[in-house]
Amino acid sequence: MSRPNVGIFGLTGCAGDQLVILNCEDRFLHIIAALNIRDFAMASSDNDSACDLDLAIVEGAVLSRRDEEQLERIRARSRILVAIGTCAVWGGIAAMDGDTDRSQLVRDIYGECGEQFDTTPARALHEIVGVDLNISGCPIEEEEFLSGISNLLNGDLPIAPTTPVCAECKMREYNCLLTERVDMCLGPLTLGGCNARCPGLSIGCVGCRGPVDDANLESVTALFMENGFGREDIARKLRTFAGLRVVAHTLSEDES
Amino acid sequence: MKILKLEKGKLDLFASVVQQFGEVHAPTEHEGKFSFKRLNSWSEARLDYNRTVLPPRKYFLPPRETLFKYREATGYVPATEDLEKRVVLFGVHACDIHALNILDEVFGKGYLDPYYLTRRKNITIIGIDCTPDEHCFCRSMRADFAETGFDLFLKDIGDHYLTFVGTARGDDMVIATGPLFSEVTHSDIVEYKRRSSQKCDTFKLDLEIRDLPEIFELEYQADIWEELGEKCLSCGNCSMVCPTCYCYDVADEVKLGSHDGDRVRLWDSCLFATHALVAGGENFRKTRSSRIKFRFYHKQRGFVAEYGRPSCVGCGRCIEACPVGINIVGVINRLRGVEHASTD
Ligand code: SF4
Ligand code: SF4
Ligand code: SF4
Ligand code: SF4
Repeated sequence: MSRPNVGIFGLTGCAGDQLVILNCEDRFLHIIAALNIRDFAMASSDNDSACDLDLAIVEGAVLSRRDEEQLERIRARSRILVAIGTCAVWGGIAAMDGDTDRSQLVRDIYGECGEQFDTTPARALHEIVGVDLNISGCPIEEEEFLSGISNLLNGDLPIAPTTPVCAECKMREYNCLLTERVDMCLGPLTLGGCNARCPGLSIGCVGCRGPVDDANLESVTALFMENGFGREDIARKLRTFAGLRVVAHTLSEDES
Repeated sequence: MKILKLEKGKLDLFASVVQQFGEVHAPTEHEGKFSFKRLNSWSEARLDYNRTVLPPRKYFLPPRETLFKYREATGYVPATEDLEKRVVLFGVHACDIHALNILDEVFGKGYLDPYYLTRRKNITIIGIDCTPDEHCFCRSMRADFAETGFDLFLKDIGDHYLTFVGTARGDDMVIATGPLFSEVTHSDIVEYKRRSSQKCDTFKLDLEIRDLPEIFELEYQADIWEELGEKCLSCGNCSMVCPTCYCYDVADEVKLGSHDGDRVRLWDSCLFATHALVAGGENFRKTRSSRIKFRFYHKQRGFVAEYGRPSCVGCGRCIEACPVGINIVGVINRLRGVEHASTD
C-alpha cells in the first residue's frame, strides 16, 4: 500500500485531539508506517507547507479570519479533509455563546484595545469548506480515529458511531442517572462512541461528543424539569458544547 | 421429567460441584441493580434478585463480537474464541428462559446462526423461582413458567428447592452431586402447589394478549403513536435491555495500513434514527413515531404472525429502563381501551 501524504493541523482549540494522535503510543509507529506525514506543526519543525495532500486532518474551530484563510488553504491542497474533535465538527465550547455580538464581547473583556483583535464568532469547519468526514469527541476517541483513517485508506466508508451514549451505557449495565433521577444526563441527546465514559463514573453526560441524529430536545428538557431541575441549569447544561446551543437559545427565548 | 429436591442450606455445595460444568455466573448486585457476572465466591450470588439490567441474552448474542477475521495472507479465519467456553448461568428466571426459547426460533430455524447456536449448546441454564414486582407481567405474556429451555430449574418450597431436570446435562449435574438430592414427598407436592397458585395472585400488572394482533391492525392510525413519538428519546434503552430483541449491525474493522480486518457484529435497535437508513440516504423510518410504532408492531403483531406468539415475555425491563416512562403495559391497555390502575 502506498503511503498517502498527510497533514495534521490545528485551528483554534486546545490541541487535545492532536495530542490523542501523538498519544497513540505503541500504535503511533503504525501510523507513521502507514501515513507519510508531511505537515504537522505540533509534532515536527520540518514541514512542507505547500505540498498536495491526500488527507488533511484538522482540529479546532474557526475563530478568526486567519483560521478561515488557513482552512481554505488546507482545503485547496487536500483530496480528503477530516474534521477531528467537537470544536471542528460543531464549533465546540467556543461556540456556546455564539449569539452574543463579537465586538461587544472583546470590548467587555479587553476594553478599547480589544478592537484590534482578529476574532469572529466560532464556526465549525463544515460552515466554511466541504468536510469529508467528521470525527467528533472532546477529545476524539483513539479507536474511532484509527479505524476511520484505516477505512478511508481502504476506500471504505468509515464506521462512525450513530447511536446515542445511552446504548453503550446500557450495554455496560451502568445504572441510569435519569431513571434514578440523580443527575441531568445528556446521554439520550449525545452521539455515542465514548463507551458511556461519564455515566460509567456516575457522572451525567455533558454532551461533549455533540448531538446524535434526531435528538429529542423537547422531551429531555421536559423530563429534566419534571425531575426538579431549573430552566437556567438546563439551559446552561445544554449549551456547554455548541451542538445543543440551539435548544438553550429556544429555552431562554421562552423565558423572556 | 425427573423431579428431586435440594436442601437450601446445601446450595453453595451444589454450586461448587457445578463448577465442573463451566464457569459459574449468577446475578450480583451493584447499587441496587443486578447483573449476571462471573462469581468470585458463592456469597456474591443474589438469587433473590428482581431482574438484571441486561438479560442472559448477552451471553448468547454479546453486545459486540468478532464473527471472523480476514487476512491477506491466510484468508478468512472464523473467530471461535469464547464460543466454546462452558458457562453455567445460575439463577435464570422463567421469563428469560422463554426469551431464549424465542431467540432459538429466530437463530435456530431457517437461517441458522452458528455463533448463537454454539453458545446455546455450551451454556448451561439453571432456572430459579422469582417473586413478581410492580413491572412484571410475564403471566400475561404466558412466560411465567418454563417447560423447556433449561437444564435444571429450582423452585422454592421453603427449606428445599424442588429441582426439575430438563436435560441430560441437568441429569449429569444431579448425578455428579448425588447425595445432595433427595426424593420429593407428598407434603412437598402440597407446598409446591400452594406456592404456585399463590404466585399467580401476586402479579400487579395484567393485560390480555388474545386478539391483540387484530387490535394492533385496527389501531394502525391511532393518535397514540404520534404521542409516543413526541415523548420517546430514541435512546434505544428499551431494546438494549430486552431479552427478545435481536437486531444487530455488521461492520468491518480494518487494521491501519493493511487490508486485514475483523468483521464484527454489534447490537442495533429499531429505535435508533439510523436503523432503517439505506444507501443513497433513504430512511424508511425517519420519524420517531414510526420507529417506536415499529417496535410495538414487530413484537405484538409481526412476530405473532410469523412465530405464533408475541416476542415479549413481560420481564418489565423496558418499563424500568425508559427514561421518559413509556410503559408497554400502559400502551397496550390504552390501545385496548382498558385503563389499569398501575400502568402510569
Ligand atoms: S445514564 Fe445517561 S447515558 Fe446512561 S442510559 Fe441513563 S440517560 Fe442514557
Ligand atoms: S459520556 Fe458524554 S460527556 Fe462523557 S465522554 Fe461520553 S459524550 Fe462526552
Ligand atoms: S418488550 Fe419489554 S417487557 Fe417485553 S420482553 Fe422486552 S423488555 Fe421485557
Ligand atoms: S427507552 Fe423509552 S425513550 Fe428510550 S427508545 Fe425506548 S421508548 Fe424511547
